[in-house]
Amino acid sequence: MPVIVMASPKGGVGKSTCAVLLASEFARMGADVTALDCDPNKSLTRWASHGLPMGVTLHSDVGRSEIVTTIKNADGDGKIVIVDLEGVASQLVSRAISQADLVIVPMQPTALDAEIGSEALALVREEEEALSRTIRHAVVLTKTSAAVKSRVQKELENQLRGAGIDMIEPSLVARAAFSELFAYGGDLTSMLNNPEIVTGGKVDKALLNATAFTEAVYERLK
Amino acid sequence: MSGSNRLAGLTARPKDTGPAEVRKVDEVGEARGFVDRTPRKKPGRKPSPRTYQLHPKVFPRVGEAIASEAERLGITQGQLIEQMWDQYSTD
Repeated sequence: MPVIVMASPKGGVGKSTCAVLLASEFARMGADVTALDCDPNKSLTRWASHGLPMGVTLHSDVGRSEIVTTIKNADGDGKIVIVDLEGVASQLVSRAISQADLVIVPMQPTALDAEIGSEALALVREEEEALSRTIRHAVVLTKTSAAVKSRVQKELENQLRGAGIDMIEPSLVARAAFSELFAYGGDLTSMLNNPEIVTGGKVDKALLNATAFTEAVYERLK
Repeated sequence: MSGSNRLAGLTARPKDTGPAEVRKVDEVGEARGFVDRTPRKKPGRKPSPRTYQLHPKVFPRVGEAIASEAERLGITQGQLIEQMWDQYSTD
């Protein structure tokens, strides 16, 4: 089953949020998901410490020397491997990309995120050439506004599409529920159904967004 | 979007994982600034857990024999004394 890698040399773009949403939503679809936390900030490990959704297994502290074999060992029939990488330009990142079926480059709709994120896109293309293998890759815009699409976002989308970059629609909207997942663990459904969880946002809207995002990723894995 | 039968159609493409491919990927990454950033381990010898010190006075021939035997075995004199003690305790 496929290996999905979240990559961007910039920190704070939403790699871990994408990883958590995909892991929990694919598990909800019935997949056996293995999530690899390769980020020294251990965002996924923190999320898991509050409780993992059923069907998700987490491996923490996966480093440069183990990444290739860990992905290889985690991959198997009925399994989806999701790799959350550190937000730096490192050999760990380039090695993980080499094992990917889909590389997702999250970026906020800002010029800086686009500029740094494009380094990951360029690396994917160079690895494709070196390995003589197509590595599917796509950009997802994160922390976008729920109400309006900013002019900067429109321009950025046009530029990326013009450069032939695959854009995942929908973007991930800035939702409090997404960040609160790291405080409560589990998935958005458990958050929605648990009256004891107090969130500052609309969990139902967040769930719709996450489901549509996962569906768009699924389409790229077929 | 539920139903694992949909996911059953998803397959992973075979990937090269050999040392030659990893080296190739490392070279491509390094050219773009994706270098090894693994934190370096603290240099130097780790502190020994052997903290207790003995002060035995022995005849020179015994001391020299213990020192040369430890050297021959590639262990410290303390480790040799530990082995001798283990043997003495079990006999």
